[in-house]
Amino acid sequence: MPIYEQTYRRYEARGPLRAVRFWPITREALRLVLAKRAFLGLLLVGWVPMLARVVQIYIVTRFPEANRVLPIDGKLFGEFLNQQLGLSVLLMIFGGAGLIANDLRTGAILVYLSRPLTRRDYVIGKLSVLLLLNLSVTLAPALLLYVVGLGLAPEQYLKLDLWWLAPAIVTQSLVMSFSLSLLSLAVSSLSRSARVAGLGFFGLFAGLEMARGVLRSVFDAKWATLLSLQADIRAIGATLFGITMRRWEQVPVLDAGLVLLALAGVCLALLRSRVRAVEIVR
Amino acid sequence: MTPPPVALAASESKPQLGFWRGLRGVYDIALEGMVWSRRSLLMAVMLSLPVVFALLYRYALVARLPAKIRGFDLYGVVIALFYIRNALPLAALFYAVSLIADEVEDKTITYFFTRPISRASILFGKFAAYVVTTLTLTLPATVVTFFLLTTARGTAEISAAAPHLFRDMAVIALTLIVYGALFMLFGVALRRPVIPGLLFLFVWELLALLPGYLPRFTLTAYLRSLVPHRPPDEGLAEVFGQTLPLGLSLGTLGILLAVFLGLAYGIFSRRDYVLEQ
Amino acid sequence: MSGAALAAPIEFERASRWYGPVIALNDVTARIEPGVIGLLGPNGAGKSTFLKLAAGQLRPSQGEVRVLGRPGWGSPEIFHRVGLCPEADAFWDGFTGIQFLTSLLRLTGFDDAECRRRAEAALDLVDLLPAKDRKIGGYSKGMRQRVKLAQALAHEPEVLLLDEPLTGMDPVNRRRVTDLVKRLGKAGRTVLVSSHILYEVESMTRRVLLINNGRILAEGDVREIRDLMDEHPHTVSLRAKDPRAIARAVVGQPHVISLAFGDEGEWLTVQTAKPDEFYGALLEIADSAGVREMYSPDEDLQSVFKYLVPK
Repeated sequence: MPIYEQTYRRYEARGPLRAVRFWPITREALRLVLAKRAFLGLLLVGWVPMLARVVQIYIVTRFPEANRVLPIDGKLFGEFLNQQLGLSVLLMIFGGAGLIANDLRTGAILVYLSRPLTRRDYVIGKLSVLLLLNLSVTLAPALLLYVVGLGLAPEQYLKLDLWWLAPAIVTQSLVMSFSLSLLSLAVSSLSRSARVAGLGFFGLFAGLEMARGVLRSVFDAKWATLLSLQADIRAIGATLFGITMRRWEQVPVLDAGLVLLALAGVCLALLRSRVRAVEIVR
Repeated sequence: MTPPPVALAASESKPQLGFWRGLRGVYDIALEGMVWSRRSLLMAVMLSLPVVFALLYRYALVARLPAKIRGFDLYGVVIALFYIRNALPLAALFYAVSLIADEVEDKTITYFFTRPISRASILFGKFAAYVVTTLTLTLPATVVTFFLLTTARGTAEISAAAPHLFRDMAVIALTLIVYGALFMLFGVALRRPVIPGLLFLFVWELLALLPGYLPRFTLTAYLRSLVPHRPPDEGLAEVFGQTLPLGLSLGTLGILLAVFLGLAYGIFSRRDYVLEQ
Repeated sequence: MSGAALAAPIEFERASRWYGPVIALNDVTARIEPGVIGLLGPNGAGKSTFLKLAAGQLRPSQGEVRVLGRPGWGSPEIFHRVGLCPEADAFWDGFTGIQFLTSLLRLTGFDDAECRRRAEAALDLVDLLPAKDRKIGGYSKGMRQRVKLAQALAHEPEVLLLDEPLTGMDPVNRRRVTDLVKRLGKAGRTVLVSSHILYEVESMTRRVLLINNGRILAEGDVREIRDLMDEHPHTVSLRAKDPRAIARAVVGQPHVISLAFGDEGEWLTVQTAKPDEFYGALLEIADSAGVREMYSPDEDLQSVFKYLVPK
């Protein structure tokens, strides 16, 4: 009939929702991000420190005396991951800033959410992009370095008392990646401009570092170190790998963990409120 | 039948709006968008951090710190180290690099281009809105920080310190204007101005810490020379770098400002913006 | 008479525009006279580039574009008399409708009271006055389109450039805007309407500028263009009491290419290379054959477009 009744009708979906619904979002976003040559260059540059460490391991295996100057032990991996932190921040600025911001600006978020996807799928899809990017410059090179270490210097690394090394690498990489990715995504959801979101992420990171610096140097407030995301992440790594942190970076690992968890909570709450198909304008 | 062609009478054409009138119109529109934005909220938080420090110092730490660390000296650290070296250049980058780029991305620049106003009015109207917004976010925080710090141990040092406050406010304004002009130039000249902006701020400007003539190639060296606040202890002296002569600093900054603004206008006035479909 | 005295409001003189290796507009010469002109072409034809050159938003890579006697590019003074309704859905969303219009009118040189008056008049023209104090961010798509149109009209320009002006509008407002455009054209304003929706343009004007692949295909009245298209015979459909009588009368004429009778017996479809001669012949027999109805299915814009724009 040409005119339909306007009474309530039950929605009957055609079929069950797919289990891994977010993957197309991740795949497409990765494709767009990796299409930028400058970004690919940045990813490649991220592997250079790993190559330097491979050379370090090789030198020590050939010239054992070099171990005094360039020690190769479990801490090497922790230090390597600490080094990659700066690169991860850059990746978040250039790869992560526009992930949600561009969708908000173009209205693409409505297109996503008009598919059989929930907001959670959308966020997981976008977060996965950042996680994969981060892990490609943290976990992947660190694990490869570990394998190279096992191969080149089995007497150093193939020991029972270093069983914790691989799990530590995985844990620290995940802590670093999750923290930075969630923060970057949350900041991206706050703006419709990728440029502003990128600068905002950097500003937040740098601003907290500045605040830490001033509070510590002027007021000797040790708790201020908790404000530094860098210090919090490094504190986890220091505990996992047995690294001695610099005095100004020292912070109790439990406190650091709580700060990171609290940050994750704030970011998720922000994402929950910002990722909507429609923005109500009053 | 085709209508007859229009005979163009020269007297029908009104001239474009005067520079200042056009600037004022653009400024009003830009200010409305800038002030009530999330970006400004984030900047307000960052630029108000010294107030938090000042409150902490005054109400929690002043009794525990040695008397030789005066509130005025801490204020000097806030101005030279926090504002002039870090926060204000970052704020300038945050706003100024996007002054035109945001309008182009949002495609609202068409509305400015289809009004009888010059490109100079558009560019400098946006710039004026940026200066007013950032000054509004910074100056009150500076004043509050000053009073909180300098009166923490009594009001004795406030009258001697007051002229410094006015000078510092002027230097803050100059910092925002000069960095803003530079980053506005980056914004109109470069497709991706954020990276060069960050590199300039956090790599190039480090030259100011080196001895010799190298600091003269930075902006921060001239700006910090205008506020020679004495550091609270020798340990911090190294981050202040050289102090350049006042006349040289002002003159150089003036010339650089004119160059940045002139170049930005030159590029903006000649470019036709192809908006994304 | 001097050339300047005969200047059309918009003139393109061998104008080209390219973006890198892509030529968007290729050696175009055109005069846009007062009245309503439809700028038509498929997607990617160069309509937007043509309109942006006319609106002074782009500089021609070669040649000249003149608007009201001045170069389009670099002459902001022309915008006292030129209004553009852009295609993009772009606003400062925090502004209300009235704020948006008054802010832009201030940039056109009017004082506050005049800005307010004109803004309200323009909003009333597009039926947005009740919503003037609402933020544009909360407007529907049709309302956003109308406020865009209002800002183009508010300063009463002589030249109006409309890029897809009816996008997102409901039928009532489409009709309203179409009538408004026709009125403006009749009042002597120059209204250039860019669209790829043929019936939209046809409802506003018979004068078109057809563009494809950056070149002008045809310019002028739809009917005149159609008449010049010899390689596509005209089709005329007639309903008459005695269609066979008409067929007998015209079958011998050399310009008649084919005849076909309709199923119901009253219809005759004629294909002719010279429609005017056919109509002339028809006049003599129309009464006796009892012609009741007649139309030409391919004298509309759609057909002209179809014939001129290859697939």
